[in-house]
This record gives sequence, C-alpha cells and structure tokens, in this order.
Amino acid sequence: MIIRFFVLSIVLSIIVSATAQDATSYELLKDDSILKKQYFDISMKKKEQLLRSVGKEYAKDYKEIYELQFTEIGKLWSSSRPITSTTTNNYLQSIVKKIIDVNPELQGNDARIVFSRDWWPNAVSMGDGSIVINAGLVTGMDNEAEIVFVICHELAHYYLEHTQNSIRKVVTQQNSEEFKKEVKRLSKEQYRVNEQYNKLFNSISFDSRRHSRENEAEADRFAFHFLKNTGYSADAINTCLIKLDRIDDSLLTAPLYLERVFNFTSYPFNNKWVKEESSIFSGINKSESTLTKEEKDSLKTHPECSKRMEWLADSITKISGQGKNFLVDSVYFNSIRKDFALEIMEQCYRDENLSRNLYFAIEYLNRHPDNPVAVYNIGRALNDLYMLQRDHKMGYTIDPEKRTYSPEYNRLLKMLVKIRLSELGDLAYYFIRQYDPVMKGYPGYQDLLVTAIENRRNKE
Amino acid sequence: MKKTSIILFLLMVLSPGLFAQSISLENVRSANLRNADVIREGSEVKGYYFFYVSDKIDKRTNEYTLKITDQNLITLKEIKFQDSRDVSVLESAFNGTDLIFLFYNEKERTFEYQTYGADGKKKFTYNRELSKKEIKLLEATYFADEEQTYKGLYPIDGEGFISNMPSREDKDYTFQIDFFSTTKKKQWTYIPTSGGKRFLGDYLGTNNGVVFLEVLKFSGTMDQKPDSYILGLNKETGKVLFENPTENNKYRFYPGSMNVVNGKSYIFGEFFELNANILKDKSLGFSFIQLDEKGKTVSEKFNSWDLDLGKFLDVSSKGRIADFGYMYVHQMVQVASGDVYAIGEGYRKVASGLGIAAQALGAGGVAAIKIRITDLILIQFDKDFNVKGAKVYPKNDNPIELPQGMGLASGPLLAKAIKYNFGGFDYAYTQVNNDRTAFSVCYTDYIKDKEKDYKGRTFNAISYNDGKITQDMITTKSKASSSRVMQAAQGKVLIIEYFKKDKKLEGHIEKLN
Repeated sequence: MIIRFFVLSIVLSIIVSATAQDATSYELLKDDSILKKQYFDISMKKKEQLLRSVGKEYAKDYKEIYELQFTEIGKLWSSSRPITSTTTNNYLQSIVKKIIDVNPELQGNDARIVFSRDWWPNAVSMGDGSIVINAGLVTGMDNEAEIVFVICHELAHYYLEHTQNSIRKVVTQQNSEEFKKEVKRLSKEQYRVNEQYNKLFNSISFDSRRHSRENEAEADRFAFHFLKNTGYSADAINTCLIKLDRIDDSLLTAPLYLERVFNFTSYPFNNKWVKEESSIFSGINKSESTLTKEEKDSLKTHPECSKRMEWLADSITKISGQGKNFLVDSVYFNSIRKDFALEIMEQCYRDENLSRNLYFAIEYLNRHPDNPVAVYNIGRALNDLYMLQRDHKMGYTIDPEKRTYSPEYNRLLKMLVKIRLSELGDLAYYFIRQYDPVMKGYPGYQDLLVTAIENRRNKE
Repeated sequence: MKKTSIILFLLMVLSPGLFAQSISLENVRSANLRNADVIREGSEVKGYYFFYVSDKIDKRTNEYTLKITDQNLITLKEIKFQDSRDVSVLESAFNGTDLIFLFYNEKERTFEYQTYGADGKKKFTYNRELSKKEIKLLEATYFADEEQTYKGLYPIDGEGFISNMPSREDKDYTFQIDFFSTTKKKQWTYIPTSGGKRFLGDYLGTNNGVVFLEVLKFSGTMDQKPDSYILGLNKETGKVLFENPTENNKYRFYPGSMNVVNGKSYIFGEFFELNANILKDKSLGFSFIQLDEKGKTVSEKFNSWDLDLGKFLDVSSKGRIADFGYMYVHQMVQVASGDVYAIGEGYRKVASGLGIAAQALGAGGVAAIKIRITDLILIQFDKDFNVKGAKVYPKNDNPIELPQGMGLASGPLLAKAIKYNFGGFDYAYTQVNNDRTAFSVCYTDYIKDKEKDYKGRTFNAISYNDGKITQDMITTKSKASSSRVMQAAQGKVLIIEYFKKDKKLEGHIEKLN
C-alpha cells in the first residue's frame, strides 16, 4: 500500500511538473531603447528646425501649437507604447521598404514608422514623420496588404504635409481681421453671447473638419498610387475599409463569461455583482444625438468608408485580382497578431487602466484556456484592484459604465463597482489558487498568491 | 429664495475626466446649492442634475441648461430652454422609469413640475400657484433648509410621484400632498384643514393603493402638544380612507418610517406613555405596528429600553444609555432577511462653560446648557421585532451651543432642533439598495490626534452587506477651498471640491468599503 502510494505520488509530481513546464512566461517584446532615443532625438531636432523657421508673423501662435504637437510626439517616444523590438521592427521596415523602393516620391523621406501597443484600432501620422500603427488595428487586419494600405495612407499625409498645412490654416484663420473683429464685438455684447460664440467656433470647426475630410480623400488617392506600385493586392484597400467601417461596433464586444471565469467550488459567482438596475433615461438609444445629420457629418474628420471605397472603386477595379496579400512573411504576420493581443493587455496595465487590462485578459483566457499570461494578468489586476479599493482609489483605474460601451464591457465594469472589498479579496484568492497546477512555474505567480492570501488575512 | 445658500454658481462647461467618474466645472462664480443635486429613487442615487444659466437672452430672459448625468457623472441629456431670469430648480426624483423636476419661478410665484420619460422626452407638466403667505411659509421652512434634509418629492414605482410641501390655507399652517401621474396626465391634491390650526405631515410610503402619512395636528400656533395620526389616502383619487390616532389603550407611538414586507405595511417608530407629548417627552422604546389598508392594526410589538434593550445596553427606562446619552433615531431600516436596524446618534445635555461665563458677565446670547453629540448606535431587531443586538460606534463628541432660553427645553425637543434647525448631528444619511441586502450609514467625524498621519475631517460609513457589518473612513481634507460629500450610488460617495482661486469645481466618486 505504501509503495503504491509512493509510486502514485511520483506519477503525480511528474504530471504537475510537466504541466508546470507549460507555464513558460510569454516574453513581452523587448524594445530597442537606442532606436527609441534616436527617433526621439530626430523629432526634437525637427521641432527646433520648425521653431527656427517661424517668421515674425503669428510667431506666438505657431510656437504654441508646435509645443503642443511635439509634447505629444515626445511623450510617444518616451513611453512604453512604441514596439521597437528588433524582429518586429525589422518586419515592419521590410514592409515599409517594399513601399519606398517603388515610389520615387517617397525616397529620401525620413518617416519613422512603428507599431504601438495601443489597444484602439487607429493609425496616425504625427506631422514630423513619426507614424504610428496601433496594435489594435493590426489585430483586426487579415494580411500585409491591408496594413500596407494603412501605411501608404499615413505616408501620404506626411508626403503631402497635411499637418503643417492644417496648422498654417488654423493660425491664419484665427488671426484674420474678420475673426478678430468678431471676437472683439462679442466681448462687448451682453445678450446671446454664448450662442454667437458657438456659431463662430462651429463655423471654424466645421471648416477645419471639411478640410480634414478633403485631406483624407487626397491621402487615400495617394495611398492607392503608392500601393499600386508595390505588388500588393489593391483589393485589400476595399477589405481594409470594410473592416474599418465595422471596427468600432466590434470593440470590446467579445463575451467574457464572467459567471464561468469567476465561479469556484468554494466561492461561487454571485449574480448580485452583475445585476441590472433601473437607470435614468434607459430608453434613450445610445446613438441618439441632438445634432442634425448635417452637423454630424460636418463634425467627422474622416469621410464615410463607403464613400472612400466609392472614390477609389474605378482605380481598384482596373487592377483587381493583381498583386498579393503577402510579400514579406505571412507566418510572422499571424504570429504578431497573437503577440500584439498580449502586448495590448500589458500596455493597458502599464497605462493603469485595470478594467481594460482585465477585459483583454479575460477575453484572451476564454480563447486560450489556461494561458499563463492571461491568468497572471487577471490575478495581478484583481490583487491591484483590491489594494486600490482599500485606499479608495479604484475609481482612478477603471472606466465608468457608459452607454456607448458594449454590454459585455459594461457588465465587467458593473461587477468591479458592485463587488465589495472583502468579496474582491476572496475572488482574487480563489481565482489565483485555482490555477496553481498550471501556474506553479510561472514567474511572479507565487507572489500573486502570497499577496492574495495577505489581502484576505488583512480584511479579517 | 436668494437667501438660500448662494455658494456656487455653475456657469459653463461640465467635462468628464479621463476616467470620468469625476466632473470639472470651469468658470464657476457662484451657485445655489439646490441647483446641483442628486437624483434619487427612494434612497438610491440614480444620477445628478446641474442647472445653470447658459446664456442671457435679454434683460428679463435667460437661456438655461439642465444637465442630467448618470451615477457616474456621464451626461445623459442636456435640456436647454429660455425662461424668466427668476427660475430655479428645487428638487428632482426618479421612479424607476420617469424623472420629475420641480422648477420654481420666484417672480411668478409658481411651482412647475416637469416629468420626463425613459426616452428622455418631456411627458407632462403640472403647475401650482403659490400665495404670498405660502411663499413666506416656504421661506421659513423648505427654502431655508440649507442642509437639504427636507425632501418634498417621493417616487411611486413606475406610476408617478408624491409631493409634500408646506402650505397655507386661510390662517392655517398646513401641508399639501399632490400626486403627479407619469402614466397619463392626472393629478390630485390633498390639504388637511380640519381638527387643528397647524398641521405637519410626513410621507411614510405607498402600499396596496394606500398613501400613508404621519400627521401632527396642533390646536393653535402656540400649541406644544400635538395630536398624532396615521392618515391613509386613496392613491388613485386622494380621498381620505382613514385617519387613526397613533395610540392604543396602553401607549402612544410616533411613526418614523414605513416598510413594505411581503405586501404588508409596517410602521416603525418610538413609543411613549399614553398621555405623553411625543415632541418633548422621552420615549419608552421602539414600536413596530402592522397596518392593513383600512388603517387597522394587524399586529404590534413594543420593545422597552430597560426590559428589552437592557439585555444589550446599560440603559435606563427613559432610554439614557451609559456613556452615550439619549438616542436620537435617524432612521429604521428593514433588510431582506427581515431584521430591522434602528440607526441613531447619542446626545446629552451638559453645562456650557461659554454660556455660564456669558451669563455671569451679563452678556447673554448663549444658554448655560449645551448639547453634546456623542456616538452612533445600531440596534438590531429580528424579523419578529425582538431585540437581537446593539452596538455603539464611537466617534468624537461634538458640542452644540444653544441660544439663550433654549437650555430649558426638553432633551428630545432640543434633539429635533439640532436635527432640523442647527444641522448639528454628524449623521449624514443612510442608503439602502433596492433589494435591501445592503445599506450604508454615513456620517462625518474628524481626527485631531497629533501622532496620526492625517489630521482633519473624515467621512465615515457603517455598511451592512448580506449580514456582515463593516466600517470605513475616507479622509476629506484637501487643498480645496471647501468640499462637500454628496450621496452617490449605493456604497459610493461623490466628493465635490471647490477651488476658489481657480474658480473651479471638481468632483470624484469614491467607493466605500
């Protein structure tokens, strides 16, 4: 009997250690700090050049805008947002090279293009050559060609100097005699002042957004031109635009199955945490707005995707079926899409947005059961939330429920708000402990467990 | 109206912060306290409203914006309208489906009750014209209530709202009950005028088609010993269904609150000797009366201080608790398990050094007796209303100096004056969630210990959650010129801070533990 038990325990320990070997830590992409510093320095040099180039006319206004612009750029390069790991960056630069090499207009162009860890699906040309393609956009795309269209679009903005032109336009407009005269007149008015101010600023705002939409259309035309020469499929422009059109509706919508993820034998899920309550104006549709259709259209910076597709339709049709979806590395493209989901998760944590960190981690865990990175992220977020709530600071790290968010995300937010401190401590403990067999070898796991135990002990 | 606490004047922008459980109002000059307040459904906070002048149209007309936010301060709707410059918002309430706002036009002397549906659209408007006498009475009562302990609008789930406002009928000082329907345009009004010269009414609740009210009738303006009644009105018509004295053949009782449990109406309160003056005399203990729809007593339970509460507290038959004083009952709450909690605060009369010195010097002005506010107390009763436990929650004592002459008044009367006239208790409010599985008793206190990391005011909570009671404290001292803790959704508070130098009002929501 003793021997039998001994053998059994050896077998069990082998199984446990075999499982524990699965809990290898996902190595977050290691950034190239020298490259980031180099990009930062280039941006700051550009700032100096721009400031030096400002003439006497409206110098103060230009300086103010450039300061704002380059503060944002400086923040980007100093943050953990850009993904500059050698392999990933080399991959991106290989794609960029495919574009530059075949477009003489772009040769000599000093654009610095990076992927970022930002979760929201967007790409931006910051005006000085810094171009950022968010991880949240990459994970929503299906091939290199779609990403190439996005890069070409942002390169076109830079090539066409849209940012600098817009700055010039705004400064000139706000220094026009007509504008100054109107502001002076309003400062002396006694009645309907806000109404008139609103009209004045709306006219400028509408005009600047119209201008922005024109820029977008122009950038699309140039992007088509750049992409056409690369050998990538121009049909990807359509598939990319279709995805962009729907991307907002699919944000944070994946089901989280909270009742399953946070249900333990010794500590069952409490439906009270997610119970719906009566709310003011519950019948108002989230898309309802007091703006007229014209006002809504005027406030958009981008034209509708359907319109963008329509404008490029003839050009695309001519070369449809030609070109490829991948020219650099389809395998690596698919692997970064998976890696980026984890990078996004981690970045939300670094940005101290624990509700999004938790959302992405739970969502990832549901797709990849027992994934140690997701388990670690959930456990860490729950422990952190416990300590923040203990100090009445949780509100600074979670989003409030909003009607514009998906019901799934709002459900998680409701739970975080409703759960009591002691319950949160229990939840963190039972969640972390449940993954003991899987997580034993995972770096930092033991610390998570110890913290959860400490938190529970302290509440008693 | 202008006298009522002109502190802040909200003007322009209300912009959600990054994590948006916060607000920031720029260009703040001054404002009427009532023009920014919580929207409640019963004791639960469902949102906030901010009412401000957004533009001046002409000499007599303003453009107003009524901004309505959810519990997280996220704007749900902005209602803009033009009206006379004499308009303000006094109060709001939510009945699970619809919203009501009470607008007051000072010049026109009118109340306008506007109701809004779940779709955000205006439903019905109800008006009440006020006489000059009524304005004077309101100025002395409702408008003068800077602490906003007096609330006049109560929700009836999905059906409408009950309004309870002071009123004048000829020479009588009375009150007016209105029902405003939100399902169709329908209203009824009830004003008591018979059997007295002065009437005070408290809305207790609505159940099975009956609106229950506690009514005190005074034979004249100088009468100090009112008769107490429970009044039942037909919810559909406002007609009187019954009016019964609050006494049996042994005791007289004073209703404090009403709870509906399994469709039955229970009135909770304190009881007194049969001929006692319920305003002035000390109570004998707690009473629990079940009433039917005709106002008849179905069951009753009386718990005396010495015989029943004495098992848990060192207490005299008149309710004096050792090292605590007398208990002022702020609220009684019944939770889902059936247990009832009486929430109270201690007070006792002590000699006033300042008053004695002032009188010795012939200066007067301050009474030789002052009231010392002591600790908080929770008394627990089981579902059959037997005393189950009692616990005193210590806090710092808080002395209240009294005006000369008031020192002769009885303790209970002084306690009522402290509650309604001086705002001297540290208790702030109690919030109960809809399914009655949780409640929080909130109160202010301070830390003066030099050795502690923090010195200054604190906001505290005793929270009940599924049978467990926990305590929490939030430090409220900051760099702000002034701050105020407002109610937020169950288990949370909204801290509003005013930065005078920056003309900025900021608020953030904190969760209680």
